[in-house]
Amino acid sequence: MSRMPALALLAPAAWLAACSGEQSALAPRGSDAAWIADLAWLLFGGGGVVLAMVIAALVLSIRGPPAIRARLARPATMVAAGLFFPIVVLSSLLAYSLWLTGLTLPVADTGHVLRIEVTGEQWWWRVDYVRPDGSRVASANELHIPVGQRIDIVLRSADVIHSFWVPRLGGKVDMIPGRTTRLQLHAEEAGVYRGQCAEYCGGAHALMAIEVVAVPATAFEAWLARQAEPAVVPASERGRRGQDLFIAAGCGACHAVRDTSAAVIGPDLTHFGSRRSIGGAMLPMSEQNAARFIADGQYVKPGNRMPPFRIFSDDELAALSAFLVALR
Amino acid sequence: MERRLPRRLARWSDLLIVTGVLVVCGFLIAWSGVYNVAASRGHWPIVERLLAFSMRNSVEARANFVGSPPRFSPDLVRLGAAHFHGGCAYCHGAPGQPSGQVAQHMLPPPPDMAVVASHWNERELFWIVKHGIKYTGMPAWVSQTRDDEVWAVVAFLRQISALDPQIYRELAVGDLEIAVPSGRDLATREAATEAVSACGRCHGAEAHGPKSRLVPVLHGQTSEFLMISLGDYAAGRRESGIMQPIAAALNLAEMRKVASYYAALDPPRAAARDPADADAVERGRLLASQGEAHAQIPPCMACHGGTGLDAYPRLVGQSAPYIAGQLRLLRAAVSRRSPAGGIMIPIARRLSDRQIDDVAAFFASFAVREGGEETGQ
Repeated sequence: MSRMPALALLAPAAWLAACSGEQSALAPRGSDAAWIADLAWLLFGGGGVVLAMVIAALVLSIRGPPAIRARLARPATMVAAGLFFPIVVLSSLLAYSLWLTGLTLPVADTGHVLRIEVTGEQWWWRVDYVRPDGSRVASANELHIPVGQRIDIVLRSADVIHSFWVPRLGGKVDMIPGRTTRLQLHAEEAGVYRGQCAEYCGGAHALMAIEVVAVPATAFEAWLARQAEPAVVPASERGRRGQDLFIAAGCGACHAVRDTSAAVIGPDLTHFGSRRSIGGAMLPMSEQNAARFIADGQYVKPGNRMPPFRIFSDDELAALSAFLVALR
Repeated sequence: MERRLPRRLARWSDLLIVTGVLVVCGFLIAWSGVYNVAASRGHWPIVERLLAFSMRNSVEARANFVGSPPRFSPDLVRLGAAHFHGGCAYCHGAPGQPSGQVAQHMLPPPPDMAVVASHWNERELFWIVKHGIKYTGMPAWVSQTRDDEVWAVVAFLRQISALDPQIYRELAVGDLEIAVPSGRDLATREAATEAVSACGRCHGAEAHGPKSRLVPVLHGQTSEFLMISLGDYAAGRRESGIMQPIAAALNLAEMRKVASYYAALDPPRAAARDPADADAVERGRLLASQGEAHAQIPPCMACHGGTGLDAYPRLVGQSAPYIAGQLRLLRAAVSRRSPAGGIMIPIARRLSDRQIDDVAAFFASFAVREGGEETGQ
């Protein structure tokens, strides 16, 4: 018996430990996420106070002194505590949350700022950066934003309903086929923030993740300029062999590598090697992992739409991976 | 004073005793070796009738669950005939060709199909060819997923009784010239030419293409692709009741030889083709060259057009029924254990029936002129 209270104290501690990670709504790193976290804490706290008041009233009405019980039983008390109090509290909460929602919604599209379009597809994220001059830069499965700015994110879906949620940077908004929804992301400090599809969208839904990389504004501009360039020409003999394989094996039938192929079925790989991860935050970027995804992608991310290419020799697979990872 | 008669009605204990005695007798017969299992002696007439009665009823009952047959096209009949010649004729004989001496001494002796094929309806024949028959030596079809091949044999069996030897030979062997081996070869070699003649019977050889449009043109495919296909068939990763036993009978050196033989051949001159629907060919051309991004269908030509890996088949000039048939098999996830199947199955599953027919019409629309140059229709 003596160990039970200790365990009971430890259990919530272990549970809370999971909330400090790179994907926790309780550890916000942006104004929007912070507002939402504040609202959550207000609800937890306020709910706790109301619960305490109800329990106190319950105890007093059974065991309390006769004078207090008589007071509790008065019609005026019931109207005040049972009708007036909830109406005031819930109405003010509603007003507060509506005001907060308005804060987190992007202002009308002015066209003068950077806009990022994210399209949910089974089971990855297509990312397009639309610059103020209208030029588009295609990427996938990783989102770069400048620190300290509120960035407009335009959300679409190519197939079924997905939901875009980067808990430490902003709210959660559904991506609905045939509609365009919007969201703002704001990062106060540089870092990598994980996001996750938050609406069940089929087989590999649980593995549909995205990493948001927040960097200082100047670094972001440099990064975007590099992303806008065509793919680097392979420098090594192995890389050139990999490029030949990329074309001959038909990789370019689904994946764009600008100046080599222009397909739009799968993720754009023009600057594949500059990303942190492979397969949508599934595996860290490395040649071995690229090879693994090409040949055994159905084990890495079961159900994903890319067929497994188990036709390459080890040499060929290594050359192909070397070519891809060198695409920085 | 009335005498009570003992009333002996059957009781459970009596039944048990009788059953026990029968079981013991049966065991004694089996154990003593009294029963003669010799194929040389035949069955008692009563046993033979009982066996034939059971078999007919079993086949008839189970054939009820066989789906309806496809249309028996001349292509299907020719494919069935060519396979029958290689796979069935040794035991069953064929028009103008008695069954093998050894097969005639099986019990029961395999029947002459020209005589008995008419005793069964199409679904019953299908069931027998697909599943085989216990205790008779009739084997099941090697691949239980290739009903299309089984139907080819049935389509041929529907016609076998009407065939004279010459027409049969034309149907099963066609214009393939089988060279007579020299006396020395006959005396010193194992039957190595058999396998190659088996390829040519269906796929054609030299300047002749396949004689059924359900059979792929192997002329001019890369030897890498042919080696991979033979290896996949031999290992059972790619499924075909016709190709698996043929590939498994070849050793690696023979596979290499036959692969490089076909790789070096020029595409055969096109046989007379059905007038293709020009709209279908155009739709197929668009799909094959551009794909359909929103349906996640990549363009076929990216891999199959001639610049793809040597491991990929060239589809230009293949016949429409062959391509459509293969795509439908892939869509049904047949051969899912082969690496090539792993790539094509997810793609084939994104194709509609019409898209399959369109791309098949497009690839078949390439005709080969005398000079060997491939041109669009």
